[in-house]
Amino acid sequence: MAPVITLNAIDYAIIAGYILVMILVGYSLKKYMKTGEDFFLSGRSLPGWITGLAFLSANLGALEVIGMVANSAKYGIATVHFYWVGAIPAMVFLGIFMMPFYYGSKVRTVPEYLKLRYNEATRGLNAISFAVMTVLMSGVSLYVMALLFKLMLGWSLTTSVLFAAIVVLLYVFWGGLSSSIYNEVIQFFLIWLGLLPIVFLGLKQVGGFAGFMAKLKEPLLHSIKYLGSSNNPLGVDWFGVVMGLGFVLSFGYWTTDFLVVQRALASKNINSARMTPIIASFPKMLVPIIVVIPGLVALLVLPEFGQAALPGTDYNSALILLMKHYLPNGVLGLAITALLASFMSGMAGNVTAFNTIWTYDIYGTYIRKGQPDSHYLKMGKYATVAGIVISVGTAYIAQFFRNIMDYMQLIFSFFNAPLFATFLLGMFWKGATAWGGFWGLLVGILTAAGHYILYKAGVLSYHSDMAANFYQAIWAWSADFVVTIGVSLFTAKRDPKELVGLVFGLTPKPKTEARWYARPAVWGTLAIMIAIALNVIFW
Amino acid sequence: MNDKIETPIAEKGMSQGHILDLKLPIGWLLSAYGVLLTVYGLLTKKEMYAISLGYNLNLVWGILTLAIGGGFLLTAFLKKKKKKK
Repeated sequence: MAPVITLNAIDYAIIAGYILVMILVGYSLKKYMKTGEDFFLSGRSLPGWITGLAFLSANLGALEVIGMVANSAKYGIATVHFYWVGAIPAMVFLGIFMMPFYYGSKVRTVPEYLKLRYNEATRGLNAISFAVMTVLMSGVSLYVMALLFKLMLGWSLTTSVLFAAIVVLLYVFWGGLSSSIYNEVIQFFLIWLGLLPIVFLGLKQVGGFAGFMAKLKEPLLHSIKYLGSSNNPLGVDWFGVVMGLGFVLSFGYWTTDFLVVQRALASKNINSARMTPIIASFPKMLVPIIVVIPGLVALLVLPEFGQAALPGTDYNSALILLMKHYLPNGVLGLAITALLASFMSGMAGNVTAFNTIWTYDIYGTYIRKGQPDSHYLKMGKYATVAGIVISVGTAYIAQFFRNIMDYMQLIFSFFNAPLFATFLLGMFWKGATAWGGFWGLLVGILTAAGHYILYKAGVLSYHSDMAANFYQAIWAWSADFVVTIGVSLFTAKRDPKELVGLVFGLTPKPKTEARWYARPAVWGTLAIMIAIALNVIFW
Repeated sequence: MNDKIETPIAEKGMSQGHILDLKLPIGWLLSAYGVLLTVYGLLTKKEMYAISLGYNLNLVWGILTLAIGGGFLLTAFLKKKKKKK
């Protein structure tokens, strides 16, 4: 089958330029990686704008971009819920309320917080599950990237996989988290530069927003209006969207997923750490420009979608087809480089999260304790190599399982929703006890798994898979919440002296506040207000 | 009991401060892209741009990218100059 897109020398030059810069940046950071803290946490030295953009980009991977364009073609403007309801509140909450405990406690990882706040068992449960999941996800997304480039560009699977693996290995091995973060910031600019041409050309061709209003069916044009009706594009009612997506899934991801939290922990001080997710929330609000507009344009402009679309159309190819439709060689290369950058930085992000949790929470806790820092720095480098090798292995295996990506994300979701309840109670209720935390988390995970099995078996039924997913999160979170409180009321309390800095009410308030224009609360409130305004405008 | 791994105070590592000014690699990369796209846009024929609705997208976008890259470089050099004072 001939590739969909043909690249010429100029396109390849653009791709090569990016690869070169990545390797050079990694190499130039090599000499600064002197301690474990340098390698795993960028020496806690980065300014807010860098950690903020990295925070956003770590999440804005290529799969997310492609998937959201596909969702927009399928569901229309309601896709904005994934941003304006499903992200902004959580990001602001993390910055204002949770960062003081994360950053102030000087923990190096999310599981380490669980160890200090609850107990070793809780940490182990989180660390092991997260480490396994994240390295497998790295491999699966490597496979998806290679497959995409094979279908669209004709690149050989093996070449793509090995090439990407080697480049990521080099720059993470040399520059650790800093390399990963710098790459994510570069990716941020490339994504906008690569995709905005499609937005402009698409809007021009369909006649702007007026064109959308005239040519698209009503439910596709509203984010909230049709949620309560039978024309509901998402197939989920408002309660599911607000509590399932907006509260549990969103907060569960943004506040506990180490992949994003790690970027905030690399900040140079507590104020930057708190501002990190809030700074990220502003461009996040604008991301619908480059995913929702193209999705709607695809419906009107591409013959494969829109009115003539057969049921079961794969919307995932929408973005690539739009690139082929509008972009001449040159800018086309820029767009492909943006996707490549996103894939690679996604892989790098997973690998840095894995090597940190492996080294500190698994190796350094259960296998060899008490070694000098240089020992763990070396382990980190080995773990980087191992992580990449495992990813390549997983990528190879993934080609025999058709829906592997969906399975991976599903299993990941079993953990995120309950974890948020565990953190919420841990950070804001002094009375949460060690075993309360552990049993709550375990029961929450089992509830998520159980709910899924019942849904697939037909015992539970929902309007759509998405609704099932949102409600599963609600059930899992609630189970964790209730069990944690219940068990806490009957088990031994922690000594409050050990919880200083980890929990609300036992943490001294900082004496000096930054000036008003640098305060997280000010910007966070602004972000929420804009998000609400956007919801009203596009309702 | 604290079994946290101790991190020695690093004098030459990342904690000495943010050493590689990220504006430089971004600035150089985007400027290079800008030049490449602009020159390519000038050298190519009009027929190629039928798909981009008639606009010479390489020229237009190349100039924009060059401007953004240049902006980063300028900010980086101004900051360096300020520090030298």
